[in-house]
Amino acid sequence: MSDHISGPRAIADPVTDITDVYAFPSPENPGHLVLVMNVFPYAGASAVFSDAVIYRLRVRSASIAPDRRGFNIGADEFTFDCMFDVPDSLDSGMPPVQRGRCTTPSGEVVPFVVNDEKGGGGGGLHVFAGQRSDPFFLDGPMIEKTLMTKQLAFKRVGSDRLYGKNVLGIVLEIEWATLLKGGPMFAVVGETLTSGKRPIRLERVGRPEIKNVTLSAKMFDQVNRNLEIRELYNNEDAFNLGKTYADAYRARFNANLAFYDNLDGKTDWSYDEHGNHPLTELLLEDFLVVDMSKPFRETSYFEIEESVLKERVHATCGGRWLNEDIVDLILTLYINAGGGPRISDGVDAPIAWSAKSFPYMAPPNPPKVVAS
Amino acid sequence: MMGVANLTAANRAGCVRQTTTHGKIALFNLEAQIESLQQDARFGRGTVKSRAALADLITLRGLIVGRVAEYERAEKIVDQLVRDAASDPAASLAHARIHALFHRFVKALDDLDRAERLSLDAETVNGERAAIFQALGRYDEARAIREEAANRRPSFENIGALAGLCAERGDLDAAERLYEESLRLYRGVSPFPLALLDFQRGLMWMNNGVLEEARASFDTALCRVPAYAPAQGHLAEVEAELGDIETAIARLYPLAISSDDPDYAGQLARILEDFGLTDESRRWRQLAAARYDELVAAHPEAFADHAAEFWLAAGADPMKALGLARLNFEVRQTSRARDLLSQAIAAAGRPVYSGRAL
Repeated sequence: MSDHISGPRAIADPVTDITDVYAFPSPENPGHLVLVMNVFPYAGASAVFSDAVIYRLRVRSASIAPDRRGFNIGADEFTFDCMFDVPDSLDSGMPPVQRGRCTTPSGEVVPFVVNDEKGGGGGGLHVFAGQRSDPFFLDGPMIEKTLMTKQLAFKRVGSDRLYGKNVLGIVLEIEWATLLKGGPMFAVVGETLTSGKRPIRLERVGRPEIKNVTLSAKMFDQVNRNLEIRELYNNEDAFNLGKTYADAYRARFNANLAFYDNLDGKTDWSYDEHGNHPLTELLLEDFLVVDMSKPFRETSYFEIEESVLKERVHATCGGRWLNEDIVDLILTLYINAGGGPRISDGVDAPIAWSAKSFPYMAPPNPPKVVAS
Repeated sequence: MMGVANLTAANRAGCVRQTTTHGKIALFNLEAQIESLQQDARFGRGTVKSRAALADLITLRGLIVGRVAEYERAEKIVDQLVRDAASDPAASLAHARIHALFHRFVKALDDLDRAERLSLDAETVNGERAAIFQALGRYDEARAIREEAANRRPSFENIGALAGLCAERGDLDAAERLYEESLRLYRGVSPFPLALLDFQRGLMWMNNGVLEEARASFDTALCRVPAYAPAQGHLAEVEAELGDIETAIARLYPLAISSDDPDYAGQLARILEDFGLTDESRRWRQLAAARYDELVAAHPEAFADHAAEFWLAAGADPMKALGLARLNFEVRQTSRARDLLSQAIAAAGRPVYSGRAL
């Protein structure tokens, strides 16, 4: 699953568990950057946001490094912090009404009511928060089986474990020229933090399927075979990776990417003399990269990164749109470097497609729909 | 050791100091998790892991709101799970947890052995084993595991578990130091693990007669999770001991009415009787007695100790208490079980028990 249930801490408290982060130019409002962060996998109808968590989206200006080995990230950071109150109606037996507020980089506070589709607005920001249909889709059990059996286990028609599931979503539509500096290329990461005086990072997510599909398997890693690396990885600052565990992450990336590369019986990626996989350094820069000078596109995830690798000029906005079949893209990239047939997990759609208008994500699935 | 007043203040400050999700939100979200996993289970979409997780969450809800019916629901889910997935270690682990919950410790250990043979990781298996060894009074074996885990990975969970063991062994200084250390290591926002730790700490003080500190710890647990029924129940017990009878009675009434655990009705009956409200006490005593009989019939190992305590106190039937205390001592030879048996023997007019064999 994308970043659902990605480590012991996330399992212990789903209200802090980021499932996905998305970044894309608004399909309906040119000049607006849309950021989405979803939390609480498998959210039941009564799920509400925590009053003790900062739900943070961090944005920095980005550019392709001159040596084309990755990205240069600007020093200035623009953070959007969403926080939530304790609903005052928790004892009433009625559905709780929760209020929230989003603080913009300039310090302006935009209030909103959770689940109100109109959202809150002000100062170049439009914000929605509430329960929505989980837009992610994949055949998770077959990915697990692939790892266990070391053979591609996907069926022509797969089974989506997230079918009909809901999440708590936060959607920000940002007038980027007003609220951000630099650009037009930006790096984006989502985080949950404790809301005390000294906030502690609980989770962070940039790209999809880094912690689960890419990092979670331990058995191929000859350096740290018993290490639950995802918890350490969550603690890291995406824009400033610490040196302490960097080599442990590298070893895990290299081992697991090599496993995927050889799943089709051939080696498609060219490794350096130390056995480093070409994607490792790029994936360690774990943030979404979106180019706001390009128009919205439905399939653009990782196109900027691939262009960097292939030393060509990127053609799309990159980032990540809600409806993209990320798992097929990642499997194809990892297994045949994008040079062979598309590898599919057999799940090609969510229960409900996201819309191209605010708040974008589809409404939550009622239980009876899931049953059918 | 820290003075009572300071410790009380420190505990209360601790609840404020540590930022956690409001207890009501946390309970709502626990409900939301259960709801979603239940839906999967109902429509045959649950995996072994998700069904085991569902049982764990229902058990947690039972623990918080003090409802035996929740444990029984969790047991049904797990029984079905082991029928459906006998070769899955997650099913054996879930089965072990349910057996341990109902004090069927030998069966729980068998299930853990099975889970280990099915390749469940050693850290998980040993953590569960240590809890059972501790419950059985096999303290040296429990300590070896707990200390190894705490040294290897000094986490909130591992240090907290070691604190619980020290508390049970009467090493209050070490336990207190470890509780503080465990709190400092907590990195989440869920209030449940902290409230459970506060509760465990409160029990330690209560069992050692340090009532002000017990009150502070139960208060802190309730500050984090206001609906935490066992903390309410024990706080009422402490309040009554400290002479704050009216507060204790007011605290116990709603629990005695809403919970299917007869502990609250039994406590209420005892306090009302001590307060001279005999008629009112009788009503709650009858209710508790009937419910204890039901529960002992359904889950003898699990309720033998509490039922024996009830029949020794408000229940006023020492012979019944003796039978149950004897059963409890057969299940686990802890010092508390031995004390209970001694009390029951004394109350039944027999010589005080001093050896192992009865």
